[in-house]
Amino acid sequence: MSTQTIPMPAATDTPPSTTSPGDATGPLEPASLIGTLPGIALLFGIGLLGKLLEHAFSILRTQHHLRLPQIEYVLWAIILGLVVSNSVGVARIFRPGIATYELWLKLGIVLVGARFLLQDVLHIGGLSLGLVAVELILSLSVMTLLGRIFKLPPKLTSLLAIGSSICGVTAIMAAQGAIDPDEEDTSTAIAAILTLGAIALFTFPAIGHLLHLSQQAYGMWAGLAVDNTAESVVTGSLYGQDAGRWAILAKTARSSFIGFVVLGYAIYWASQGKAAVVENKALFLWQKFPKFILGFLAISVFATAGFFSRGQLDSISNLSRWAFLPAFAGVGLRTNLKDLVGQGWRPLVVGVLGEIFIALITLGLVFWSYNHGVSR
Amino acid sequence: MATTNSNRTTQSHSGLRLPINVDLVAIALGLTLAALIRFGVIHQISF
Repeated sequence: MSTQTIPMPAATDTPPSTTSPGDATGPLEPASLIGTLPGIALLFGIGLLGKLLEHAFSILRTQHHLRLPQIEYVLWAIILGLVVSNSVGVARIFRPGIATYELWLKLGIVLVGARFLLQDVLHIGGLSLGLVAVELILSLSVMTLLGRIFKLPPKLTSLLAIGSSICGVTAIMAAQGAIDPDEEDTSTAIAAILTLGAIALFTFPAIGHLLHLSQQAYGMWAGLAVDNTAESVVTGSLYGQDAGRWAILAKTARSSFIGFVVLGYAIYWASQGKAAVVENKALFLWQKFPKFILGFLAISVFATAGFFSRGQLDSISNLSRWAFLPAFAGVGLRTNLKDLVGQGWRPLVVGVLGEIFIALITLGLVFWSYNHGVSR
Repeated sequence: MATTNSNRTTQSHSGLRLPINVDLVAIALGLTLAALIRFGVIHQISF
């Protein structure tokens, strides 16, 4: 998933983007904090509207006996964001604030640590690490093989393999600083990963219901199989609140591998003479480590130690849901379907085939762990 | 390719740069809010 910091590209770099139809073109200056306010207001506005719509549908269903589907605020927020992004577009003034969705997402993950006792984190997190290790080896191998079969550029294949095996866009951005790919390869890989994440949002919950997966099993699956952290959390939350939490736990375990995988690729490309040598490997690993996981663990330790009362734990948990609200809206707002499908068919085909394989493998791993009593 | 870049901020894939370290801000905010709840500065929060 996501590293916390990303080296700044040169000022003339064209950022990899999934821009909206209404976007102005041209380089963007680093956002000021005041400049983020309109976008933050839009994120919260869409999130709140989603919550209102959920409530309104609930009233219409229960009090007026209308046959309406039960659509949770998570899905409403994404749908509303998608509609705005793909119809009128996102005006330039809102874009700095929309970029803060990552902050709200990570704040929500830190706070949701209150819902996990440390022994659960160690047990399920440890299990997840084992499953992630298997998933990593298989997915990296398959994506590399598919890239060769479809004759993708080698560094694009590396980016797709890194993005699909660990944590999506952030892993790709982290790798960009380490293996020095073409800008176009980075954009293509990001577009493919985002497209596949969008597909997962709508397919995973349906498959979960079809297979009658428990909240925990489904959450583990979503955390292990869906690439981007935001999409992973949303895919889990669409199945239920508990599933969302388990997805977060599995995803954070998966994300902790990012430094090792990117380092492996950096060493490989350096040995080919196509990237710089990594001199301080320990520093490299620390820089790539997603540090917000430490915040999640800290809150979990406090909760386990009895630092909070039951009511306070409920408040912290609710606060995490408030933080996720704008993050979910941001997932919809930054997804432009036209741009996503306009990146060429071969990377997308490789991505789709690879993701189907990863989804099946991780589903099999989750089934295996539950059938053998490894998970509860 | 430099692997130690002191000028580190966060660039989202929407192409925008936030002049902050998102992870550290998320941790600081999360711990602060949890402490405020723990010590009764913030009371019950519902959703």
